[in-house]
Amino acid sequence: MKRKITLTSLFLCFIFLAGCIPTSIIDDILIIEGEGYDYIGNGKVIGTITMPNFVQSGNQGSQGAGMPTTASMIRNLSGKTYDGKSLVDKFQSEGQRVIRPGKIRLILYNKRLAKHGLAKQLTFRNRDPDVPRDLNLAIVDGSCKELLTSENYQTQIPIARYVQDMIIHNNEQNYPDSDLSTFLYAYYGTYMDPFMPIIRKKDDHIEMRGLALFKRDKYVMSISENKAFIFKMLYQNFNQGVYDFQFAPGKHIALRNVHTSVSYNVRNGNSTSPEIFAKVKIIGQVRQAYPGSISKATAPRMERKLERDLAYQAKKLVHQLQKKGIDPLQLGDQVRSFTYHFDGKSWPERYRQAHFHCKISVKIQQTGISS
Amino acid sequence: MFWKKKRLDQVDPDTPVKTIADLINQLKSNPDFTHFKHKGETFTCWVSFIQTMVDVDYIHRDIFPVLYSNRVHNIADAQATLPVEKIIRTKDMAVIQSKLLEGFIIIQENENRPDCLVIPSIKAQGRQVDQPEIETSIIGPRESFIESIDANINLVRKRIPIPQFSVEEMRVGKMSRTRVCILYVEGIANKENLNTIKQRITDLEIVNLIDATNLALLIADNSNSIFPQFLDTERPDRVAGAMCEGKIAVVVDGSPTALILPSTIVEFFAAYDDYFLAWPIASSYRLLRLFAIAFSAASSALYVAVLTYHYQLVPKDLMGTLIVSRSSVPYDPIIEVLLLEIMIELLREAGARLPTKVGQTIGIVGGIVIGTASVQAGVTSNILLIIIAMSALAAFITPNYRMATTIRFIRFPFIISAQILGLLGVALCFMAFVCHLIKLTSLGRPFIEPIYPVRVTDLKDAYIRLPLNQQTMRPLFLRSGDAHRSNQKRLLAKKGKHSPDIDE
Repeated sequence: MKRKITLTSLFLCFIFLAGCIPTSIIDDILIIEGEGYDYIGNGKVIGTITMPNFVQSGNQGSQGAGMPTTASMIRNLSGKTYDGKSLVDKFQSEGQRVIRPGKIRLILYNKRLAKHGLAKQLTFRNRDPDVPRDLNLAIVDGSCKELLTSENYQTQIPIARYVQDMIIHNNEQNYPDSDLSTFLYAYYGTYMDPFMPIIRKKDDHIEMRGLALFKRDKYVMSISENKAFIFKMLYQNFNQGVYDFQFAPGKHIALRNVHTSVSYNVRNGNSTSPEIFAKVKIIGQVRQAYPGSISKATAPRMERKLERDLAYQAKKLVHQLQKKGIDPLQLGDQVRSFTYHFDGKSWPERYRQAHFHCKISVKIQQTGISS
Repeated sequence: MFWKKKRLDQVDPDTPVKTIADLINQLKSNPDFTHFKHKGETFTCWVSFIQTMVDVDYIHRDIFPVLYSNRVHNIADAQATLPVEKIIRTKDMAVIQSKLLEGFIIIQENENRPDCLVIPSIKAQGRQVDQPEIETSIIGPRESFIESIDANINLVRKRIPIPQFSVEEMRVGKMSRTRVCILYVEGIANKENLNTIKQRITDLEIVNLIDATNLALLIADNSNSIFPQFLDTERPDRVAGAMCEGKIAVVVDGSPTALILPSTIVEFFAAYDDYFLAWPIASSYRLLRLFAIAFSAASSALYVAVLTYHYQLVPKDLMGTLIVSRSSVPYDPIIEVLLLEIMIELLREAGARLPTKVGQTIGIVGGIVIGTASVQAGVTSNILLIIIAMSALAAFITPNYRMATTIRFIRFPFIISAQILGLLGVALCFMAFVCHLIKLTSLGRPFIEPIYPVRVTDLKDAYIRLPLNQQTMRPLFLRSGDAHRSNQKRLLAKKGKHSPDIDE
């Protein structure tokens, strides 16, 4: 009997306290989809948030029954604040309804903020439980505010979705996977540095501009889209990337990889100049070729040429990274995993001295339907 | 004071009236009670019967001519010459009284002496064996039980014509004296189960037993549970099939359904059609039903939880549709859902209660007027209308009607807990139901048996139905007298040496 009373009162507590839980009813909140930060110097940023407005085109359901639509009406807000401030809190006082960050898909930083350093932003992001981990980050070549609030795009879909779709489908091709969780992993992990894609508003559309590489939280250098293929090749196994190879002046061949696998081996990991061996296997098909440059018979010759070129490019890229002292390919982590009693303290110096060897084997499986 | 008022003298029909004269006096005033003295040349007797209960044609044709003939000199002669089997000669007042009231004829030599013949002449009245209406099937037998217990036993017995088929009869109800028969196959049915069910039925303290489903509620292991613990069916083929597995069937006079016990929860979701289709098809139908039920129980609760608390879970492409359709709705999701759920329940109830001729109107009123109008008026959203309609549809997929009502009922605790605590509430509510189901028994056997406790052999005929030749074991939870249905070794043995080519 006593148990029954306890259970009943517990249950009643649930019911009566239910009203105290803050709700976020889907059409009574402003759902942030994109955030942008433009650094204006002196630790200040211009923050911009965008919210989708779904009922712009009128409500089909009510059919003129006179019901005013109650969904979000505000499209975007922007204002000055210090870097590292939560924009949700900043703009709560300007929101028509309560602003919720649970569906942010996109966070943009301009190049100046990235050079200044994202440390405050990142600690905040890592602390915030409301924000999803699979959102995409990007560096904007230009102004985030302009990119997010511009009205003159060809498409009518919300800008954050537009940009995220673009980044995600490119991540399935030439660009390495980059969302908040991988970025934070590389940022907080030892012997590795993060990266994120660069985008730019170009007239009435947006384009990918390459990959921004970071040293800890600071933007250091960028690599172009064709080089992104080399980067991704050394970074992860992937497929559906396209590499454009200029084998002679004015003569190109484009290879789409059906499968690429990379494996590492390390020798003398604790010596002053560790040797890193990368072995990349590419199976691909020719998408386009200079007339008469490739056939079934000449494919092996082209394969050798490609292998030489890719190996050269890879070495060049790694050498460049070594000179800057950044490690977005996570080579340091590879060395650590191959080395017993890895000496981590001296690694940053030894990284610059490391010898990078790259062995690439290309297999052209198909040269087109009428080879 | 009214509570101190003496209760009416309780009539206990078990105690017979003292003498036969008392009985006749008691009945005399009834217009359908016939009691007269026959005075023949050689034999004089008193005949009494209840006219509405006996087959009068039969009495006139077969009994009276013999009784009135000159061959009969005394009551023993009558017993010998009457062309009726099962004539009882008795002095037992209890027998006389109950038989007389059932439609037997009583023949006495002396009006005041209880020594008499009891001749069966019950009027068989009732509808013909008809097609099943609740558990319809597209293929397979089209017979269903009717209100007569004898016809029902006949329907089952003709499917199991072996001497081990046993029937035990008892009477339930102080006033209704309803005949209840327990059918089982001796040697296969578990003795313990049999004793349990017999004991539960004989221990019943009720006045009036109307129906088998009524009996199912009375003898259930947990009468507070919303889950029906005994399967009720109107298909004799299903009963026969269950009895061959080692289950026990209970039929009640005046009820067109039989109970199968003990039963597990998966049986409530198995249609008998499943056994008439190839196993991959039957299995996919069962899985379809399972998903439909899960959808039906959870969909509206998930709608409430997601739209009230977890906007993060809405896929980005659905977001716009949801917000647009909800933008003109003035209520919270919970009110919206309850409104529509109750509306659907009203429609269903009205459809069930209305006479068939008016029933069609309900479809029009419900589907067109209420559905479309409520969306246009901005009281509910389009998406929710689809979800509710689909979950109502999914609930009716359940082959068993009593289980279907359970599934419909189960939604409401889920919806309310979704409003209280969001998805956590749904999870807690689910947990509560799982705890309840784990503890639930059917005739002392675990109710969710192939799942808990896990019995792999029984899973062959649960969510999926494997080929029939692989189902060589009777269900384990029955603890049947003979665990094996067929000899697996012999079944799977290769026959013949030569395997010819396909067109040989």
